[in-house]
Amino acid sequence: MATADGGAYSYSLTVFSPSGKLVQIEHALAAVSQGTTSLGIKASNGIVIATEKKSSSILIDDSMIEKVAVICPNIGIVYSGMGPDFRILVTKARKSAQAYWKIYGEYPPTRVLTQEIATVMQQATQSGGVRPYGVSLLVAGFDVNRGPTLYQVDPSGSFWAWKASAIGKNMTNAKTFLEKRYNDDISLEDAIHTALLTLKEGFEGQMTEKTIEIGVVTVPTIAELEEGKVGGTTGRVKPTFRKLTEEEVRDYLAL
Amino acid sequence: MECSFALTGKDYVIIAADTTAARSIVKMKVDEDKIKTLSPHLLMAYSGESGDTIQFAEFIERNIRLYHIRNLYPLRPQSAASWIRRSLAESLRSRSPYTVNLLIGGFDTADESPHLYWVDYLGTMASVPFAAHGYGSYFALGLLDRYHNPDGSLEEGLDVLRRAINETAQRLVVAPGNYIVKVVDKDGTREIKL
Amino acid sequence: MSIMDHNGGSVVAMAGKDCVAIASDLRLGAGAMTVAMNFEKIFPVTDRIYLGLTGLATDITTLRDRFRYLVNMFTIKESRSIEPSTFAHLVSSTLYSRRFGPYFTEPVLAGLERTPSGGFKPYIAGADLIGCLNFAEDFIVAGTASDKLFGVAEGLWEPDLGPEDLFETISQTLLNSVDRDAYSGWGAIVYIITPEKVITRTLKGRMD
Repeated sequence: MATADGGAYSYSLTVFSPSGKLVQIEHALAAVSQGTTSLGIKASNGIVIATEKKSSSILIDDSMIEKVAVICPNIGIVYSGMGPDFRILVTKARKSAQAYWKIYGEYPPTRVLTQEIATVMQQATQSGGVRPYGVSLLVAGFDVNRGPTLYQVDPSGSFWAWKASAIGKNMTNAKTFLEKRYNDDISLEDAIHTALLTLKEGFEGQMTEKTIEIGVVTVPTIAELEEGKVGGTTGRVKPTFRKLTEEEVRDYLAL
Repeated sequence: MECSFALTGKDYVIIAADTTAARSIVKMKVDEDKIKTLSPHLLMAYSGESGDTIQFAEFIERNIRLYHIRNLYPLRPQSAASWIRRSLAESLRSRSPYTVNLLIGGFDTADESPHLYWVDYLGTMASVPFAAHGYGSYFALGLLDRYHNPDGSLEEGLDVLRRAINETAQRLVVAPGNYIVKVVDKDGTREIKL
Repeated sequence: MSIMDHNGGSVVAMAGKDCVAIASDLRLGAGAMTVAMNFEKIFPVTDRIYLGLTGLATDITTLRDRFRYLVNMFTIKESRSIEPSTFAHLVSSTLYSRRFGPYFTEPVLAGLERTPSGGFKPYIAGADLIGCLNFAEDFIVAGTASDKLFGVAEGLWEPDLGPEDLFETISQTLLNSVDRDAYSGWGAIVYIITPEKVITRTLKGRMD
């Protein structure tokens, strides 16, 4: 059966179409590109990830919507695509980070955590009875091995490291915008402003602290690293990833 | 009671094991061969709980043979001993562990060197120039310490073995009467009359 | 006699100035009978970490293999070598995973930890058979001669010893301790770990 929508090959995930495509994965990617725009920019002293938070009705209490998620003290992620799928991945990622901590006494490097999430997403493209995750992710984190790193993960389970990237509705425009704006020695403060400017490009409605979410990785100084954990060797690690509060977002928007 | 001895020399390993199969205080059989040829250049003497010994030795024998068939060349002595040790170590923490002690002697045709391993039922493994299991070890190890020559000829090695066996026969109340002696060298394995 | 004493053997680790040392005897016994005088109990984990294992010999070999597997997997997965503090936690969680049917070993590890500024810091640690970690600034002992090692090390060790002085201190500590222990001895092996290289020396010791 040859139809325009991919025909018989579009339902079973595990079947390649004659052209070599797994059509369901492409459909998942289509779901992502309908999602709200998210972006990430790596700066010289940190990373910013930001997203637009749009609610379909003014009656929704948007204070409980969380699109930028903290996975562990050094890693945060943001998504474009399907919210419920993202929630499942956040839960799995947090469990994975804690499992790593239980074995090694430290939180996973960004690449290891990213690979773990990517593996979960890949498995959904090869297992029976499931569909691919309808999200793309931006993973931002800091570790002493590779410093600050920003990864993008797609529904196929593939992932790359980026200096700056955008996913979701306006990704093509946003990427073009970022390509023009980006340079290697941009500071975190400038990167946050660039992120807001980029989001503004395709923004529908008013950009406020209620409709924007921002997460930042701050690279610790050597002195801070030498200091170690809060409260001695058995203490808590100092977070390098955090979400900006509404007040902070408001201040950035005001500038 | 069960006794086994082994020693290396210049390019060979000698392994000797008594031939008694006993049950309680009764000798059931006096010509039991307790040294298996696992592969063309590998010997294994086994002793311990009767039943366990044969069951385990045959399991090892068949698996080493299977490796040989699948890969067209046999496991080297180091690798074989390591795998056998692991089998015992895993067995130790299973519901019914094998109570089997081993002496594994082989000639590595790749680097042309003799290898001898002392392995006990716990999965303890040691690479040694000479070794013994059973009550005989209390008499033999001292003699082997004194007379063993790692570069000795086969005749010299057999002389040292004779000393160990004779001492055991003379001093051990429950000494076995008969031994099977096998040698492994570059030409493979063969039985030797002492 | 405890199952931990069946095969005998002892390990000691000491911290120095920009270097660490770890040493063990070479005996393998079966009760009072000595089976081998070449049984090594210290294994390289990375270029800068050495792991010593005392206790039941079968578990020493099993754990050596297991840690080699785990560290190889870590190195491949993370494309970097493991740090001593990370490895210490790996040892601890591996042993604790067998909490109710333990490996009968007491590990000792010595290594140099990379600091954020790019230097190296001495790192030594020990654990009991179920993985309770013990970090020390000075020295760690384990094995059948551990009580003697404690006493001698307490007397001989001092802070900030250089590689050669540390070698002398750890060698004398080990040799004199195992001479008073029937289940340890029969030669010894010493590793001195410095940022540039690892020095390995075998010692004769009393062979009786």
